[in-house]
Amino acid sequence: MATKNAEAHAAVAKKYEWGFATDIEQDFAPKGLSEDTVRYISAKKNEPEWMLDWRLKAFRLWQTMEAPDWAKLNIPSIDYQDAYYYAEPKAKATIASLDELDPEILRTYQKLGIPIEEQKVLAGVEGARKVAVDAVFDSVSVATTFRAELEAAGVIFRSISEAIREYPDLVRKWLGKVVPQHDNYFATLNCAVFSDGTFVYIPEGVRCPMELSTYFRINAENTGQFERTLIVADKGAYVSYLEGCTAPMRDENQLHAAVVELVALDDAEIKYSTVQNWYPGDENGVGGIYNFVTKRALCQGKRSKVSWTQVETGSAVTWKYPSCVLNGEDSVGEFYSVAVTNNRQQADTGTKMIHNGKGSRSTIVSKGISAGRSDNTYRGLVKVAPGAEGVRNFTQCDSLLLSDQCGAHTVPYIEVRNPSAQIEHEATTSKISEDQLFYAMSRGLDQEAAVALIVNGFAREVLQQLPMEFAVEAQKLLGISLEGSVG
Amino acid sequence: MSVLDLPSNRAEAWRWADLGGLAAAAALEPVARADAAPYFLDLPGARLLFVDGVLDEGASDLGSVTLAQLAAGDHPLGRRAGGLGWLLRLDGQAVTDPVQVVHVATGRENHLAAEIVLGEDAAAQVVETYVGAGWSNRATRVELARSARLMRAVRFLQGAGFVSVRDEAAVGQGASLVTTFLGAGHAGSRIDGQIVVGEGGYAEVGGALLTAGEQKQECAVRVRHAEPNGQSHQLWRAVAADRSVASLAAAVEVARHAQKTDGEQSLRGLLLQRTATVNLKPELEIFADDVKCAHGATVGELDARALFYMQSRGIPKPRAQAMLTRAFVADSIERIGNEAVREAFAADADAWLEAVL
Repeated sequence: MATKNAEAHAAVAKKYEWGFATDIEQDFAPKGLSEDTVRYISAKKNEPEWMLDWRLKAFRLWQTMEAPDWAKLNIPSIDYQDAYYYAEPKAKATIASLDELDPEILRTYQKLGIPIEEQKVLAGVEGARKVAVDAVFDSVSVATTFRAELEAAGVIFRSISEAIREYPDLVRKWLGKVVPQHDNYFATLNCAVFSDGTFVYIPEGVRCPMELSTYFRINAENTGQFERTLIVADKGAYVSYLEGCTAPMRDENQLHAAVVELVALDDAEIKYSTVQNWYPGDENGVGGIYNFVTKRALCQGKRSKVSWTQVETGSAVTWKYPSCVLNGEDSVGEFYSVAVTNNRQQADTGTKMIHNGKGSRSTIVSKGISAGRSDNTYRGLVKVAPGAEGVRNFTQCDSLLLSDQCGAHTVPYIEVRNPSAQIEHEATTSKISEDQLFYAMSRGLDQEAAVALIVNGFAREVLQQLPMEFAVEAQKLLGISLEGSVG
Repeated sequence: MSVLDLPSNRAEAWRWADLGGLAAAAALEPVARADAAPYFLDLPGARLLFVDGVLDEGASDLGSVTLAQLAAGDHPLGRRAGGLGWLLRLDGQAVTDPVQVVHVATGRENHLAAEIVLGEDAAAQVVETYVGAGWSNRATRVELARSARLMRAVRFLQGAGFVSVRDEAAVGQGASLVTTFLGAGHAGSRIDGQIVVGEGGYAEVGGALLTAGEQKQECAVRVRHAEPNGQSHQLWRAVAADRSVASLAAAVEVARHAQKTDGEQSLRGLLLQRTATVNLKPELEIFADDVKCAHGATVGELDARALFYMQSRGIPKPRAQAMLTRAFVADSIERIGNEAVREAFAADADAWLEAVL
């Protein structure tokens, strides 16, 4: 094993491909965090008064809170005054078409392989699915595509700052309803200083005609990104939403504290897929993104369904628990996750399924892959309220250990207050079986391909939940994150 | 006791702890001393009777047990129990008859430390029973040398109050520790355990917590594999009726070089009424890559199909329910090696089931 591991680690030296920085002129808010910062952001966004009040309330609340320490993460204390909370590419006041977008930014997204130019997609392979993209560059949404086509279907797909201005009633109705302002330290911080993000509203009975996607990019140095996403699926609506993220390689740690709120009314379905590939730091754990994310879905309506799928390969620290509050009768929550940690990465991730509705069901499939000197924790909660009859949950957590220096942890909480519930939890921890490896190699695969095959097989249940374009990217990412780190 | 000294529910390890129950138990008015005789089983060997943590010499036969000043570690509850306690120390090869300890509480609070130290190849059995009312707090330290074997069975039968036990055990090379708990009284309880397993060691800890009324019982046990080739099993069952809460938190930790560890956890909860709560937390913390660790956890009610089948064979529903519940609990106390002890524990569990079902 030892020698194989050595080869493996040599091969893993494959670098983070998305680590370049873009040199553009940017407007920063003054460094540090105070009420003035909050007012600055709000003013920059041209926000209505109620929004500023909402932010200030959150900020005052945040000052009284303490950072949570229950996660299995080793993080030096964060100096919140030593960061910029707002960075905006200096650009023309309004952009009439994509041609006017700063070519540097456009080039950045081209390098990342994100098709923000509509033509590129339109001219693509015939039959290729269209994906509408909202690109968020540091604190600002720089481009949202396919607006006209979506509007024809009645779908509202906007950056959240635009939505606050254009659809204040809709935003006000739901903002902070799923993740309340006082929810947790990082969510409260986000409420105070969130810069941009995406707002989606799918009207009653509409099946969103294309995949919606947001691409987040942290570019500026010393900048935190605080995005806020709100998706509301009205009765009988369906939407599939993808989210991707990258950041340049920098030596200092950068903060990313996002809040995602999903609301599904009667018979609505939201499929939310994430491929998280923030810069993970180098092999000695220098730099990388601190990723503190609060994601929660409210399955409010009867037979509503929310499905979270996540592939987590990046970030120095991941603290993320996409959850479902299943209030609706017969509502369904799903959570599929692959979390890969390598080098010095730390991930503490999982889900919460809160069953309040009768006959609500949830499925949790979590695959943790740890390599190098990393730590990978699954932390989850399944809770059944006394009034929730006939609840069904199945949880499976598998961990794969690829080195003898890493850790894999499983911390599931199960709290049941109704006897008709059927809750099952299974977990296993293992390394790659030498038999499997030997067999695959005896069939002519080299070691790397054999490992990739086995790891992909291990994660297959989750990967096949992803929309096709994403699945391909995710598989590639898995390969790059781990290439050769096994033996 | 100051409630301020207690940890808060905000701390992860105390999330489900009934800290209010501790204070309430400590404030219980004195009650008449219960007769301890029925709780001593018909077995040879030492018999110890502690009344409010003080040895009743007249009613005890110490055998190879001595009294000694014992340190109690730094656990928030366990550390209160330091001072004069009982000590079972066996030299290499020694084998002793079962040691029976009955703790009678008569209200208020009482604290007691114990130490069990077994030399190489020594073997011992210890049976402990808690009766009466009040807050009984214990700290037990176990140290097993190479190939030593200890079987410990502990039952909580207190009628009111709270029993809290803190176990700290070091299982030496190839040694074996089997601990079984049964909570079948009406008092609240908390079992705190930290077991460190040495090379090729074997540790088994588990039991059944049966709760009814407003009772809250919980276990928070952590098995740490510090050396290679160890094996551990944690098998816990919880049955919760009325408005009671049963919480099972069991953790397995595998240290970096503890390769070839085999750790297994099985936590299962059975809810008898919709007002009851079962909490489970089967935790794995693994730092070695060549290990086999698995856990399974389930919560639910009795299998409706099994119930229907039994009724179709002519067994009345209440009886079928009792049989299935009994089978559910049986797994966890079956591991008690001594037949007389096992039967006594099974009888206690049955008595509880009969009263509740």
